[in-house]
Amino acid sequence: QEVDMEAQEQKIRTVFEDPKSFNVKHPLYSAWTLWFDSPATKGRNLPQTPMSSFPQTPVPQTPGGVAALGWMEDIKSVITFDSVEEFWGVYNNIVPPSKLPNKANYYLFKQGIIPAWEDEANKNGGKWSIQLPKGKNERFIDTMWLNTMLAAIGETLDPLPEDGEEQPASLITGVIVSARPQFFRVSIWTRSAPSGAGGEDDALRERIEGVGRVFKTYVLGYPEAQKLAGPLATEVEFLSHKDSEKKGKQAKKIIV
Amino acid sequence: SGTKQPIAAPLPSALATARIIEDLGSVQYPEGIKSPRVELNVNAKQGKFRYDRDFLLQFMAICREKPDSLPPLDAIGLEPADQNYPMSRGGSGRRSSSAAM
Repeated sequence: QEVDMEAQEQKIRTVFEDPKSFNVKHPLYSAWTLWFDSPATKGRNLPQTPMSSFPQTPVPQTPGGVAALGWMEDIKSVITFDSVEEFWGVYNNIVPPSKLPNKANYYLFKQGIIPAWEDEANKNGGKWSIQLPKGKNERFIDTMWLNTMLAAIGETLDPLPEDGEEQPASLITGVIVSARPQFFRVSIWTRSAPSGAGGEDDALRERIEGVGRVFKTYVLGYPEAQKLAGPLATEVEFLSHKDSEKKGKQAKKIIV
Repeated sequence: SGTKQPIAAPLPSALATARIIEDLGSVQYPEGIKSPRVELNVNAKQGKFRYDRDFLLQFMAICREKPDSLPPLDAIGLEPADQNYPMSRGGSGRRSSSAAM
């Protein structure tokens, strides 16, 4: 009898067999932190929020680091998780992007990376993004954001060589959804960005473009050739953070 | 869908105490549940797994309990979700065990 109980205890029970007393969970490739900000969080002093209890990423004492501190002041860390089961527990208990107030954002970043350009992991990177006007995309945006998060935590955004013994570190640092008065924006942040220098840079550009194609077709569900730009809508486009600072003047966008 | 879950659902503790799967190949899923796509994890190191969307979506309807460490949403300026399942009227009388601190 005792042996039976022990055997029962040892047996692997996933959440599919036993949603209440499962004994194994599916680890994610990386741990992820969900951050949130909205006009309601601005300037609010919330000593009991996770922002203060969460071990903060040390920000370098450079002008950029200090700027990031100001930027991060209103962004609250909601939770850090490292399993598939926990991801869904979070997802099923927060509001989807279609219900976010205007000017609110969700940021889902790998643990230890703050959702700011100034972070060491982001400063040489860039972002793929798409902007969709409100009014006709409410019924799509929630699925698009869910698919974006699933591809991020499942590590399928960055198509890696399947035969390679040593897989390069993932290019992805985080994903963001933003609600604005007139549009939604979904972004994927990358660790590096091509500079157009040729040589090894071409390989990086190809890899970045691969991420963009996965984003446009598999994640967002558009045919590869579809044109998306229109009033308040953009193509699926990539811009390095350095070029973003130039405000479009010499910005070299990549479009898929 | 009319059955009520007990308030003190044991799931959060299962979430907290369940151990990490180290070898995906050792897991047998019930009939009708798809395994993660094998080619995503050919050279996977222990606990470093990639998952396809179809596999991940199978958890959506099952893992509904709030994780213990999810803060009360109003404390971070986030309105609580308008859940798909019916809420009782009046609101304040109905708090999940984890949100009640």
